[in-house]
Amino acid sequence: MALRRYTTSVDGTIPVPALLYGDEELLASQDGVGIYDCLQKAPDHQSGTVHVSTHRLFFVHSQRPASYSFTMDLLHVTRTNYYAGLFKSSAKISLFLDADTALLSNTTSGQGAEVFESWECEVCSHRNPPGLSPSAARICALCGVPRSAVVGPTTPEPSSQSKSTTPSLPVSSYSSLSSSSSPVLISPQPSTNGDSDGIACPACTFLNHPSLRVCEMCTTSLPNIERVGGMRAKSAPSSRPASPSPIGDSVDAANLLIKLSFRKGGDKPFYNILRRALKSQAWEGKRIGLNVRSGTSSLAVPSPSRGTTPVATRRSGIDGIMRNVEESAHNTETDLNDSLKDLEAIMVKAKDLVHLAAELNEKLTASSTTTTTISTPASSVSFAAPGTQSSNLFSITTLVPSTEHNEAKFIRSSLSQLGLQMSNAPITPDMIRDERKWIEELARELAGVLQGSPDDIPGKKSVGMMKERGIVGLDEVWGGWNRARGVALIPPSTLLQVLPHLPAYTSPPIRSRVFKSGLSVLHMPPYTHASFTARMVGYLVMCGTLTTSQIAQEEGITIGLADEMIAAIEADGVICRDDERSAIKGGGSGTASEIGWSRNDFLDYIWDGQL
Amino acid sequence: MALSTHTTPSGFLLPSIHSAPPFFTEQPNPNTQAHLTEQWIRLILTYARHRRLFILRVEDAEVPGGDWDEILRNERINRRVPPSYISSLMAGMIAKNVAVYEPPKQTRAVMLYWRLPEEWADVLHSWATATGQLNTILTFYEISDPPIPSPLSDIPIPLLRRAITILMRSNRAQIIGVADGEGVRFFAATK
Repeated sequence: MALRRYTTSVDGTIPVPALLYGDEELLASQDGVGIYDCLQKAPDHQSGTVHVSTHRLFFVHSQRPASYSFTMDLLHVTRTNYYAGLFKSSAKISLFLDADTALLSNTTSGQGAEVFESWECEVCSHRNPPGLSPSAARICALCGVPRSAVVGPTTPEPSSQSKSTTPSLPVSSYSSLSSSSSPVLISPQPSTNGDSDGIACPACTFLNHPSLRVCEMCTTSLPNIERVGGMRAKSAPSSRPASPSPIGDSVDAANLLIKLSFRKGGDKPFYNILRRALKSQAWEGKRIGLNVRSGTSSLAVPSPSRGTTPVATRRSGIDGIMRNVEESAHNTETDLNDSLKDLEAIMVKAKDLVHLAAELNEKLTASSTTTTTISTPASSVSFAAPGTQSSNLFSITTLVPSTEHNEAKFIRSSLSQLGLQMSNAPITPDMIRDERKWIEELARELAGVLQGSPDDIPGKKSVGMMKERGIVGLDEVWGGWNRARGVALIPPSTLLQVLPHLPAYTSPPIRSRVFKSGLSVLHMPPYTHASFTARMVGYLVMCGTLTTSQIAQEEGITIGLADEMIAAIEADGVICRDDERSAIKGGGSGTASEIGWSRNDFLDYIWDGQL
Repeated sequence: MALSTHTTPSGFLLPSIHSAPPFFTEQPNPNTQAHLTEQWIRLILTYARHRRLFILRVEDAEVPGGDWDEILRNERINRRVPPSYISSLMAGMIAKNVAVYEPPKQTRAVMLYWRLPEEWADVLHSWATATGQLNTILTFYEISDPPIPSPLSDIPIPLLRRAITILMRSNRAQIIGVADGEGVRFFAATK
């Protein structure tokens, strides 16, 4: 009896992991197990494999998995009992089942179908993916608002016969209830208990006055009491008398049990895992939606219903949202890792592309020079870069000299649009074996990026990063350089190694400087400490007092940078500050204030006040 | 920075440095700040002697109308000494032993030693000698608020007590319990 009322048959030929819900996890398996229905042996289930997951118990028949396999929700289990076995009697685990939560019949196939539907939350428009367990699928994964609470069972509830054909119903596994209960769900049920219970907000669980339409606390629209007959938050008391079974066979609650008989051992570890699974109550995690609905049916008629036990852990409110955010962050991270892997693969491809571009560019340069110097139809075959690994696709291309210039221009511009413009290929470590040589070559390349290479293509003026500015932050240099390279990017550590060699390849020499705060910059000679100090003192002699922003404006540098440079001068004691916060009236905005700078005349001050 | 001295309504000659706005800002550079602290201490002590002020509080610069307005605020350049700066100036004065926290165990107010306790002891003894009050018992009140204004008028009791303690060490005074509090008797110097 118990077997029939609590289990649903599954196709055992499908491997168990494929039967699991999205949030379900397989915990343990044990073969050589027979099933006892109540106290008798179940004749059809005498040898098979049991699997326990976080949500369910699976039995897969060893001979006829297609017909005699079943699954049972762990939520029915009220308590367990362990029998160690004696002589020929094998070890057994008894699972006592909750009489209140019995399934009506085995016609619960609709439950499985509706799980594999994605749906959109009405509150936050989050598209919930399919494949979650029925309890988890009932509430929105993002905001924790029950699905049915907003949708409401206003859609006409079809009879149980048509369940399998309409799996997208908002009413989830309750649709599997007998048709006797479904009209009750729609029919109004005014003043059910006569008590002054409020309507529980589906989002924040605040009990609102029954006449309110939106939650007083969070203004989420409330389940309408008129439309939904007594959508109360109150779950039925757990001590509620067991509903009479419509099937008619009355079973003593004490005998409502299923026994697992371990013919081939493995009972002890399995029992431990099972107990842990029961204790963790993974199916309880997202029971808020179920709770609301169970209240409906419990108020409506004494019809058998599931999930009437009070919910211990609710996944709603801030906590639920936080957990959902965490989860989605985790998902994003894994997605990101995957896409980064893809990106690496693309980079490998891109390298070839860049090689090709470099070759093409070289050839164009070569051909243009040949056409200008020698007025013969130049074929660029001889200029194919030797030793490059890429294909000879372009090395046999002969460019017609008359249209050459335009074509070259066009190709170059398209290359630069693709971000592949380069005068020469970036230097990579495999080009140069010697480490020292490599660093020096890198310094030369960086010098080109910063100042614009002098040996550039004629007619094409290249502008270095520091052409306009005398001082650039190291982060910008690094980014700009790697952008110019495109492939074989330079790590920051290598950039730092290159910096000491930089002055040798630049004119005027570009040096690096590290400020007290740790900010590193590359700068031209006018921005050395000494010359900036001299300039600053000059300004101050002229103007008396200048603020940091005025100085930054004067120098054409950012305020942050100016701040750092001025701080270095202040540390020398050449200048002194005047904080606006010392003003009697006005001065500063409370949190920040401008600092004015003036020459430090205090050091040689002689007292001229009253003696 | 063309700065000039300025004479306050109370007749105090402010130094030219007082008209420099940076003077009212605590400088992060320790070298610069050491110079400024020195000038500030000199200014505060000179002004305290000029006005016969004994107590300097952190709050003195915040609310206008106090005794210290003339030096802690400069309306002409719209500057005042921020409370945090006063606190560090107080710490500087205590380090130089020209002030003590009064009452002790707090850092909001100091008693200024524009005369050191030793100097006060001498002043006190010579006053007692000059007014012929040797060997008579005087209450602290009679000293700090004499009918004829004296150099000791308004001297804070803690400072007076310190001066008397110094006199007691050289046997020139003696603390005597009297009906309502304490009294002191001065003796001629035993040289």
